[in-house]
Amino acid sequence: MIMSLNRTRHLMLVSILPLGLLLASFLPNTIVTTAANAITAEEMLANPQLEERARNLSKQLRCLVCQNQSIDDSDADLARDLRREVRSQIAAGDSDDAIIDQLRQKYGDYVLLNPPLDPATMFLWLAPFAFMVLGGVIVLVARRQRGIEDVNELDASERAKIEKLLASRNDRDEPKT
Amino acid sequence: MSKIRLSFLLPLLAFGILALVGAVALYATLSGSRDPAQLPSVLVNKSAPRTNLASLMPNDAGDNMVQLAAFRGQPLLVNFFASWCAPCRAEAPALEMLSKRVAILGIAYKDRGEDTNSFLAQYGNPFRAIGMDTDGRMGIEWGVYGVPETYLLDANGVVKLRHAGPLTRGVIDATIIPALEALGS
Repeated sequence: MIMSLNRTRHLMLVSILPLGLLLASFLPNTIVTTAANAITAEEMLANPQLEERARNLSKQLRCLVCQNQSIDDSDADLARDLRREVRSQIAAGDSDDAIIDQLRQKYGDYVLLNPPLDPATMFLWLAPFAFMVLGGVIVLVARRQRGIEDVNELDASERAKIEKLLASRNDRDEPKT
Repeated sequence: MSKIRLSFLLPLLAFGILALVGAVALYATLSGSRDPAQLPSVLVNKSAPRTNLASLMPNDAGDNMVQLAAFRGQPLLVNFFASWCAPCRAEAPALEMLSKRVAILGIAYKDRGEDTNSFLAQYGNPFRAIGMDTDGRMGIEWGVYGVPETYLLDANGVVKLRHAGPLTRGVIDATIIPALEALGS
């Protein structure tokens, strides 16, 4: 009995772990990346609101040379050129979506640090949830098989029956544990 | 007994399937000639961006613009290069060889005219025309992420192939020549 409880607990832990990782992945990127800003003062837009938009957009766009940094983080020449491009389009009055869309047409989805949800990336986005459900199913199945779900109080005759069954079962299990 | 085995096997089975999927994906990524550093170009099978650049060498007619549209009617290689780019020096002989077979338009990426000229004087000039992309804006239009990059266009100006990095004998034999042959050149 104790062994099976431990097992269930273990299974629950195993299925909670992916959940924790999933939640951690929703934390803002700023907590994970501590790289110094590559942006220089003369690049910035005079209007702080527009500059804020530019910074926000730059954080979503991949530097294609360094490949794992955003153009906001990267010191590469191309990153600077793309930052300039983003700012000149903001200054021209384009919407955020329009700017992202234009860069996607030139560099493809790869320019986005967050892959879009489409048929090709469906597995990537949905797999964590699928595994969570799978983990839940495994826990449920394991619990049902161990017979440790909450049940109504037993009456005396049922309890006696259980005692008897448990006694015989423990005898059988003893050599294994 | 069989029930216990099932709950034991289920996670194992799930892991096995996952590992198999991962192995297949890894194999597909690393096998063959696919280089993970080579990004796919979204331009392939699309019309090349409208390209109109100041020319490095104004022609006899006094025209000092290079227009991509003027090259329609024949396959064309478009090569982004720069005098400051070491791999561009390495691929100079390959371009020279290719220039006997197909017209090549050079685009000097973020380069100064005088530097471009001395680069050409030293390593040869395989180009029919050279456009100056001084601020790199045209490069962004084409999706260039590092020179040298080479694009093959068909007679209608549709991009058929993009190669990022220097053209080597291997690259030319494996991709450029077959693509040129497919275009009947």
